[in-house]
Amino acid sequence: MLEAGAPLGQSGDGEGRGSLDGASSHVLSRRQLLMGAGSGAAVLGAGKLFGGGLDRLVAERARHIRQSATRTIVVGFVGPQTGALADFATSNNFAISAVRATSGFSKGFRTGGQHYDLQIISVDTQSNPNRASEVAKDLVLNRGADILIASSTPETDNPVAQFCEVEGVPCVSTVVPWESWYAGLGGNPLKPTQKFDYNVAFFFGLPQFGDTFIPMWKRISTNKVVAEMFPNDADGNAFRAGFPPQIKAAGYTPVDGGAYPDGTANYTSMISKFKSHDCEVYVNCPLPPDFNTFWKQAAQQGFKPKIATVAKVLLFPADVKALGPLVNNIATDAWWSPFAPYKSSLTGQTAAGLALEYQQKTGQQWTQAIGSTYAAFEVAFDALAKASDPRDRAEVAANLQKMKIESINGVLDFTKGPAPGVALIPAAGVQWKRGRKGKFTDFPWAMFVVDNSDAPAWPINGDLEPTNP
Amino acid sequence: MTYANALVQGLLLGGLFALFACGLSLMFGVMEVINLAHGDIAVAAAYLAVVLVPLTHIPAVWIFVLVVPAFMVGGYFGQRLLIQRSLDEGPVTTLLVTFGLSVVLENVLLEVFTGNDQSLNIGSLVSGSFSVRGVILPYLSIMILGAALVALAAVQFFLSRTKTGRMVRAVADDREAAQLVGADYRHLFGIAAALASGTVALAGLALSMYTTVNPNTGPSYLLYGFAAVVIGGLGSLWGTLLGGMVLGVAMTMGSLVDPDFGAMLPYLVFLAVLAFRPRGLFPKKAIA
Repeated sequence: MLEAGAPLGQSGDGEGRGSLDGASSHVLSRRQLLMGAGSGAAVLGAGKLFGGGLDRLVAERARHIRQSATRTIVVGFVGPQTGALADFATSNNFAISAVRATSGFSKGFRTGGQHYDLQIISVDTQSNPNRASEVAKDLVLNRGADILIASSTPETDNPVAQFCEVEGVPCVSTVVPWESWYAGLGGNPLKPTQKFDYNVAFFFGLPQFGDTFIPMWKRISTNKVVAEMFPNDADGNAFRAGFPPQIKAAGYTPVDGGAYPDGTANYTSMISKFKSHDCEVYVNCPLPPDFNTFWKQAAQQGFKPKIATVAKVLLFPADVKALGPLVNNIATDAWWSPFAPYKSSLTGQTAAGLALEYQQKTGQQWTQAIGSTYAAFEVAFDALAKASDPRDRAEVAANLQKMKIESINGVLDFTKGPAPGVALIPAAGVQWKRGRKGKFTDFPWAMFVVDNSDAPAWPINGDLEPTNP
Repeated sequence: MTYANALVQGLLLGGLFALFACGLSLMFGVMEVINLAHGDIAVAAAYLAVVLVPLTHIPAVWIFVLVVPAFMVGGYFGQRLLIQRSLDEGPVTTLLVTFGLSVVLENVLLEVFTGNDQSLNIGSLVSGSFSVRGVILPYLSIMILGAALVALAAVQFFLSRTKTGRMVRAVADDREAAQLVGADYRHLFGIAAALASGTVALAGLALSMYTTVNPNTGPSYLLYGFAAVVIGGLGSLWGTLLGGMVLGVAMTMGSLVDPDFGAMLPYLVFLAVLAFRPRGLFPKKAIA
């Protein structure tokens, strides 16, 4: 019994532990209960002298603990702190500590004539979907979570969302293409009419990759032949099905490099194919190590597309560091940056202010996951604070569904989405270039906004340059 | 031209696989240990290099000067303190111990370095190449093949030309007889493990230049190493180079048909060799 109650996962840094210690007064009250029960059992073992009296004692203690716990709302956060997806989560601990420092989260809120404290418990999926499901279950059943937030890829978000829909727990997902998330819940992204009561998500949709990439291709003079490197996995096959029609409509000719298995060690045949078709545009959605291998071999074997737009890789500085100088002028998509004109609904802090705080506190280069993680907490806070009873899961979930909020990740409108419960955010075209003076660009390699076709509010701060001149 | 190029890339790739296979072959040839942690040891070496390069300011290409000796020492003591004990318990225990070592290594790396992909950055060398009649020869691949040739030649020289090397072979051939003439087989096993560990450390460095590594990369390259050993012939050092090259060529030529076929063909070759020449293409009774 004690094992079942023990925390399954926790974030690695001091902040995460802080949350657990913080949780102790409320969630661990359960532990006190168990300890009470344990000592009770010991007494019982000594003899059944106390009989029903002890049971009553335990029950009273439990009620007392429950009463004091009702005033604390627990927000559970599920992310891939370690494992293959850890790149996505490097800034999560910071984002969570920034959220905790806001007055809304540190002081709590008042609604329905009652004051509520807020608590954040952050847990790690180890990049494993099965574990994501387990930790979600643990958060809700054992640690009293009233609302869950899941961030970073379908491998993290889908198991959590599925669990929440079944259990009737409000859940906010982000950094997941909405189609994957929607399909994961059992909906059909092609006919998105089904409504999921307890789940909402905010992020891009698959067509937005094209909406971001194609305007950049158009600005570089090429022969309009596009090399497609799509692996034989879920994302790769989704791109293979959805991307070519969009490319052809824009007047480009796709050349499919073939459905290669993840982890391929040598890309000679694909590179030969791209070279023989004289591809001058390159697009992909590989696993990061595979792109690293491919791009090195492409450089060795003389495949030098004029414009390379990549999805799923080079989203974060760590990925870029592993590739080194070969990363110069590769373009990708961004969902958040310090350059975006967004503000926190909790404090009014700007995106730039938040990114600067991250850099000063951690000494690390900003990453775009800071904004999405922070914004997910804004969404959760708004839904809770506007409920007459924040412990009423149905009411909180209904608040999520009808929310429109100006967050640090832009306007999130869950009422208008391409599917029920989806808020689309714009994607900006960015390129990795050598850093230059500036708060957010003074690094060996920095992300510059070069195209804002899909995100007109983002100011452009770099020139779109050919990946290979 | 496409075919010639794919053939050459495959042969060059064989160098990387041979580096992985060499140590496996040695461990099996000398003490009949199948080391399931082999791939993870390579990855651990890559991580050590990733840490050492910025600390020591030694260029990544030369970092093997520190990493390989460190792993040879580690290999010797790993053999004496861990593998030898399990060897005394029988072959299944050894298999389980190396499997356990693999799990422990992967998780320690995950804990210390997170799951981020790491790569040894060798600057412009990574993208450089020259071409001969349309066949592309990347500097990095040539360097890796060169390292494999040097490593194999060095191990070969050690085993056939030095006194200790000859004793290692004697112990491998007939342990009791070698012990009768005073060979300390535990020490000699340790030396063989040091050589295996040194070559696989080199493989790990090569791998982290060729692509990226993360804590879970090891097992897939362990498989390539195994396949190369089986194709080349168990216990045969130069056979592993040939085995690696057969694998590499099967991979690149198969990919010309279809990328999935490129992933499958090496294992079809592997199965065919097992079925028709179970002792490999270059079988040897003893090592070297």
